[in-house]
Amino acid sequence: MPTNTKPLWRRINKPLASLKLAVVIIISLGIITAVGTIVESKYDATAAKKLVYDTVWMYGVMGLLVINLVAVMLDRLPWKKRHASFVFAHIGIIVLLFGSVLTMQFGLDGSMRVGIGDSNTFVQTPETDLVVYTSFDGDRYSKTFEKEVDFFKRPPSVEKPYSIPAFNDEIKVIDYVKYAVAAKKVIPAELGKAGAGLRFQVQNPNVNVIEWLVQKKQGGMQTHDFGPAQIHLGAIPVHGQGKNEIYLSPTKDGLDYAVFHKDNNVKPFKKGFVKEGDVFEPGWMGIQFRVLRYLPSATEDWDLEPRERPTPLTTAAVKIRFAGKDHWVLLNDMVKLFTDNSVYLLSYSNRRIDLGFPLKLVNFEVERYQGSTQAKEYMSQVSVPNMPVTKISMNEPMKYRGLTIYQASFQEEKGVPVASVFSVNKDPGRFWKYLGSLIMSIGIVLLFYFKHLDFKLLKNKQDQSKK
Amino acid sequence: MKKIFLLLFVALMGPLSAIAKPGEALRAMPIQDGGRIKPFDSFSREMLEIVYGKTKYEKRAAYEIILTWMLSPEAWQGKKIFEVRNHQILKALRLNEEQRYFAGEELFANEKFGTLRQELQAKRQAQEKLDPYFQAVQRLENQYIIFAEIASGRMMKLVPGKDAHGDWVAIPDFNEAQQTAFLVLTKEFVTYIGVAESGDKAKVTEAGNALDKAVKSFEDVARAANPALYDHDAKIKAEIHYSDLHPFRLAYIFYLLGAMVMLLMWALSKPGFMKAAWILLSIGFIFHTYGFGLRMYLMDRAPVTNMYETVIWVSWGTLLFAAILERIYKFGFTLFAGALVGTVALVIADFAPTVLNPALEPLVAVLRSNYWLTIHVMTITISYAAFFLAFGLGDVGLIYYLRGEEKHHDKIKAIVLAIYRSMQIGVAFLAPGIILGGIWADYSWGRFWGWDPKETWALIALLGYLAVLHARLAGLIKNFGMIASGIITFSLVIMAWYGVNFVLGAGLHSYGFGAGGVEYVSAFVAVHILFVIYVAVLRRGKKTEA
Repeated sequence: MPTNTKPLWRRINKPLASLKLAVVIIISLGIITAVGTIVESKYDATAAKKLVYDTVWMYGVMGLLVINLVAVMLDRLPWKKRHASFVFAHIGIIVLLFGSVLTMQFGLDGSMRVGIGDSNTFVQTPETDLVVYTSFDGDRYSKTFEKEVDFFKRPPSVEKPYSIPAFNDEIKVIDYVKYAVAAKKVIPAELGKAGAGLRFQVQNPNVNVIEWLVQKKQGGMQTHDFGPAQIHLGAIPVHGQGKNEIYLSPTKDGLDYAVFHKDNNVKPFKKGFVKEGDVFEPGWMGIQFRVLRYLPSATEDWDLEPRERPTPLTTAAVKIRFAGKDHWVLLNDMVKLFTDNSVYLLSYSNRRIDLGFPLKLVNFEVERYQGSTQAKEYMSQVSVPNMPVTKISMNEPMKYRGLTIYQASFQEEKGVPVASVFSVNKDPGRFWKYLGSLIMSIGIVLLFYFKHLDFKLLKNKQDQSKK
Repeated sequence: MKKIFLLLFVALMGPLSAIAKPGEALRAMPIQDGGRIKPFDSFSREMLEIVYGKTKYEKRAAYEIILTWMLSPEAWQGKKIFEVRNHQILKALRLNEEQRYFAGEELFANEKFGTLRQELQAKRQAQEKLDPYFQAVQRLENQYIIFAEIASGRMMKLVPGKDAHGDWVAIPDFNEAQQTAFLVLTKEFVTYIGVAESGDKAKVTEAGNALDKAVKSFEDVARAANPALYDHDAKIKAEIHYSDLHPFRLAYIFYLLGAMVMLLMWALSKPGFMKAAWILLSIGFIFHTYGFGLRMYLMDRAPVTNMYETVIWVSWGTLLFAAILERIYKFGFTLFAGALVGTVALVIADFAPTVLNPALEPLVAVLRSNYWLTIHVMTITISYAAFFLAFGLGDVGLIYYLRGEEKHHDKIKAIVLAIYRSMQIGVAFLAPGIILGGIWADYSWGRFWGWDPKETWALIALLGYLAVLHARLAGLIKNFGMIASGIITFSLVIMAWYGVNFVLGAGLHSYGFGAGGVEYVSAFVAVHILFVIYVAVLRRGKKTEA
């Protein structure tokens, strides 16, 4: 066949349509995804996504695949009957990929945890944001900074910090750990800028509890609830709440305390003053209350133990530097930073998207296999505005306002379920993915029908080329 | 031909007559374990398997052994019944690494055992993934717990409880009537095994009947506790029949016989043998199908949810595809390759119970009552059957290459065609299977494609075969290339099928995860790849000589 009579586009198109290129693309896709599964097995699904599947390499090969698929179809123009299977299969793949792009760009795929009897309006997605709220009076905060950050891919360092402008200074993010086990610690803070911290011990022959109480802000109230009794760190009220209570009010050198009994909330049973190391008896259950440590001004910080690989107990964390001091902030946690005239609240969290309606978990049930702890089935009863209570179970999602809400898992404490975890999802690409799958499947069925024709043709071609 | 039927007769009648043997009613006694009601026989086999690694101990049946553990644990103290294979553990316990079976006191009285358990506990608390060493420690701990719990009777939940979901009542919590009935049972059991050793047939029958009667009256007492929950007779009988018949073992025996007849046919040039081969393989296939059906009946679901079950299902599919291709092309070796693959797969499933767990286990919540599960798993795994056939054909093809490429040119061409067809069948099932997996994931998790390793490896296998098919179209690979890729590309299937669960151990398909056998599977893959390379090198050598 004389090639010079072919139009220019055909000649340009030819190498793009090459079967050899197709083989190279297919093999590259295989290798890249294989690496992805190994990364996932060593780390986790997020790492695989960030390091392999959501990279230029992957998108590049996918792009080449689409070009190759289109080019080969153009090359075979005008199509004949025997091309049906190949055209269908290839168009199917392109439509499928188009659907995936739609999902990636415009879809929502998050998770939502709802405690039994509680409701939630926020869906959590994997993206992470840094948000800073600023206050000049320590009471009213306004959002002054909000940006998406991906420290997993681009970790900050002391040399190359991530900088957040503040009123007359800057907050620097100087380190990032992917996986760490965090333990809380309480450290002294500059006087007058933070609330008080108290480490106490409550002890009788049956009970021995040691806890920290740290006020979130100066003059705030922080409570530890034991069930039969409550310990409050904050101002002493005139009347009690009708429970067994101890109020401890911070002063410069120690704490004023007042004890209320549940049968008399009108006036304190006992009043006094304690310093570090002091003990008093509140007068119930033979309990002794001991002040182990008292910090008039204290903040919470984290001791981090980095791990090489993630476990369900590890979390990501960033280290920030402000006014010469370093603080660790865990993912989905926040830190308060003080200057002489302002307070900053910095949070590093997964993005939370407001659904615009509350989802209430009315009830949750787990059915187990007889005589074992293995779950057989579990289901949530949920209520949303303008709908009767609906059941969501494995494989039976609920559709509401364009969202699909799936039962993902549940959380239990001591063998009793406490919360249900849903996966909340909006997928604008769904129709295209199903359509693509259908077209591709038709192509595969036709493959059997037309394959022999294609083969004959190939044979003829080979025979010709031999001549 | 007569011989075959005789064999079949013996195979069927052997186990059937065993049920009627006096003294074996005990085997059918219902017990609650692992989330379901099973015959005491199955329970005992599974427990002995975990502790001792086999379903018999010194030729004595598992149910006898398990019951004596409970009746006189002291008698077992010095006996070497605990199997430990992990050398690292033996080293940590300062035990002889050459030895495989140990007495309880050697292992658990060992002060290092406490340390091992603490280490395991620390790993669990940190919620870290267990590596093979800690998996082995876990098994050791399990062996310890199982023996202790059986000895104390706490695992022997023999009497139905109050409600359908709750625990059955174990021996220590029996009421008086139940205790009395069980005491009679144990007395008769002790008499029976005492007499059984003497070998006096009349006495054995008598003691056996007495034991059966005691079992019957205990069951009556147990039933009285909650009759509605004590109604498993049909399934329990079927389960005992299933474990006695061992249908998959019969299947591979017949497959092997069929393959051997075909070899003889070629060696002696007697085409008439083909008919005998067809008959042998059909009998094997009937057993195979029957066993599969039995499992389906016992579990009320399609048995394709763990490695063992998929091996059974895939080998079944391989035989089916081989038979279909054989009917169309009449090459002979297609059927041979199918028989070979079927035998190998079923033999592996039979001889590696610690890796491929044959126990009947209930499903995890995600997999329950799901129509799509069955469809997508069956579609994907049946494609593996076709690729497995292509693999077997590849092996046959390589042998022809070794015997002379020129001489067997026609045969090789035919094999390549069969490989090509098998790959097409495989692709035609795998691609829709992956899509169905996507639909299922979308339907139950809201994610069509989540780069889950199991899905991804199925896709990689598909890509591998697509690459081969396209490369063939492009003329990049010819006959030898097809035969080589039939073998080498199957490594991807092995990775998707076995490797993700047993090597990677990550992702949402965690319900199928297991451990063990990695060295054997890797060796299997490596040997085949070396075989391909060897033949390729030989070919090149010959070509350059010429």
